[in-house]
Amino acid sequence: MTAAGLLAAAVLGFMFLGRVPFWLLATVCAGAGGALAVLGRHSHEGILPADQLARRSRLQCVSPGLKFWTVLALICLCLCGRSVWCGTALTILAAVLITAVGGVHLHDYLHLLAVPLIFLLLSLLALLWQFGPEAAGVMSFPAFGGFFSVTAAAQLRTELLAARVLGAVSCLYLLSLSTTVSQIIGVLRRARCPDIVAELMYLIYRYIFVLLEMHRTMKDAAGSRMGYRNWRTGLRTTGKIYANLLARSYRQASKNFDAMESRCYEGQICFLESRRPLRTAHALTALAVTAFAAGIALIPG
Amino acid sequence: MKEILRLEHICYAYEEGRTALSDLSVTLSGGQKVAVLGSNGAGKSTFFLCCNGVLRPNAGRIFLSGREVGGSRSELIRLRQSVGLVFQDADSQLIAGTVAEEISFGPMNLGLSQEEVRRRVDTAVGDLQLQPLYDRAPHDLSGGEKKRVSIADVLAMEPQLLLFDEPASSLDPANTRLLEENLGKLARRELGLVIATHDVDFAWCWADRLLVFRDGGLAADGEPEAIFSDEDLLRSCGLQQPTLFQVGKKLRLSPLPRTVADIPG
Repeated sequence: MTAAGLLAAAVLGFMFLGRVPFWLLATVCAGAGGALAVLGRHSHEGILPADQLARRSRLQCVSPGLKFWTVLALICLCLCGRSVWCGTALTILAAVLITAVGGVHLHDYLHLLAVPLIFLLLSLLALLWQFGPEAAGVMSFPAFGGFFSVTAAAQLRTELLAARVLGAVSCLYLLSLSTTVSQIIGVLRRARCPDIVAELMYLIYRYIFVLLEMHRTMKDAAGSRMGYRNWRTGLRTTGKIYANLLARSYRQASKNFDAMESRCYEGQICFLESRRPLRTAHALTALAVTAFAAGIALIPG
Repeated sequence: MKEILRLEHICYAYEEGRTALSDLSVTLSGGQKVAVLGSNGAGKSTFFLCCNGVLRPNAGRIFLSGREVGGSRSELIRLRQSVGLVFQDADSQLIAGTVAEEISFGPMNLGLSQEEVRRRVDTAVGDLQLQPLYDRAPHDLSGGEKKRVSIADVLAMEPQLLLFDEPASSLDPANTRLLEENLGKLARRELGLVIATHDVDFAWCWADRLLVFRDGGLAADGEPEAIFSDEDLLRSCGLQQPTLFQVGKKLRLSPLPRTVADIPG
């Protein structure tokens, strides 16, 4: 999280340099970076709690179909928005819905957001800086016989991109932190997504956890026998573990197929869908949020 | 007791020269509590897979409720619905995203209506006390909980005969006790229960019939007392007498105690 905080401070600084007073910019950068580094600090591993958080979310009671299609509409609006306001508003709205309404702790949310955020911030840094023969823009420094510069045009372009990506990613988190994977697959199935795709999603989702568990057991067993004593040994052990994982996965797949056949599997995976009826209040709220986002998306840049 | 499943002269080989079952004949009936004993590789799991129709025997015939099971898909479905199999490793069995979906997999495959599937899921969930886990993901569950879900999976198909492949192999004492309680409930419903186990103490305490496997064949089929009295048989099959059986013999008790409470004094 410290890396994400430092990156966020740097990107904010370069993005608004020369457009706001320096003392204000320095305060905002330090505040945003510090808040991200401190609030996002958490001990959990990322992938495992995401689905558990969705299961515990107070937004679980909302129809998965309504959540899915609303989020899809919001993402489209966010990506089509002509100004930074749509992305910014959706980022804040998603954070409020996930934490205040859904009940997910802010540090859990920020911790989960850190992974895509680091990718985004690194990309934004690359977009902000350009290399040319002459010094240009609001900031530049000489290197390799030319100049690295931050121009006003790059600042505006990066700002719009940051808002769009952050808004879209926040909307995706709104869906994934309030809807379990099996519910999302159920919605895709009802939307006439090909059976083979939905079935593969089910099986891949389930077996990611079986594979992770298998990997963890093997890694612990190798560690207990000094398998990671030094870099060389660690590399060899890792290779062997992956080879063994492949062989075990193959055997496991055969066992799983037997188990499915023993319960009359005939080529199509079907489950009973849980009932989450569409409520008028939820539908009206979703409509209001979408209309609000559409209104902001129309604001010219 | 009503006959459910009859296997006649069944042979099965995974590959040429590697026989897993040879000339096996056995009849299983409703209301029976059968323990299947034998060392590793004796053919217990293959026997179960053949009973459930996952493996098709190379030779021999299978009868379900007196009617021979043919090779068609509908006949296999009839066999798999009537003879439920609970796998040793619950992770081999659990495929869905939530417990409720997982239990519905078998009934959905039977082509039942949504209402009927829901009724069966709710009944199985109630029978195995899985209500708090209804919407949980299988990978979030403990070993004992996964085992209960895997039993509910099969119960929801409303079979006449239930096969358990070493159900207590990875359970702690508390979960083993819970499993035994659930087995007691199922036995009261007159279901045929067949359990493969290495635990001779459990087999002595619970079963009213033993099948002993050796090298892919049936070495013995009979009442527990007769089988555990045959020391030559036990030695050749790598088994030993249950503790309570030995204590009863030592104290010259009659009948021999099946539980500690049966010992007088």
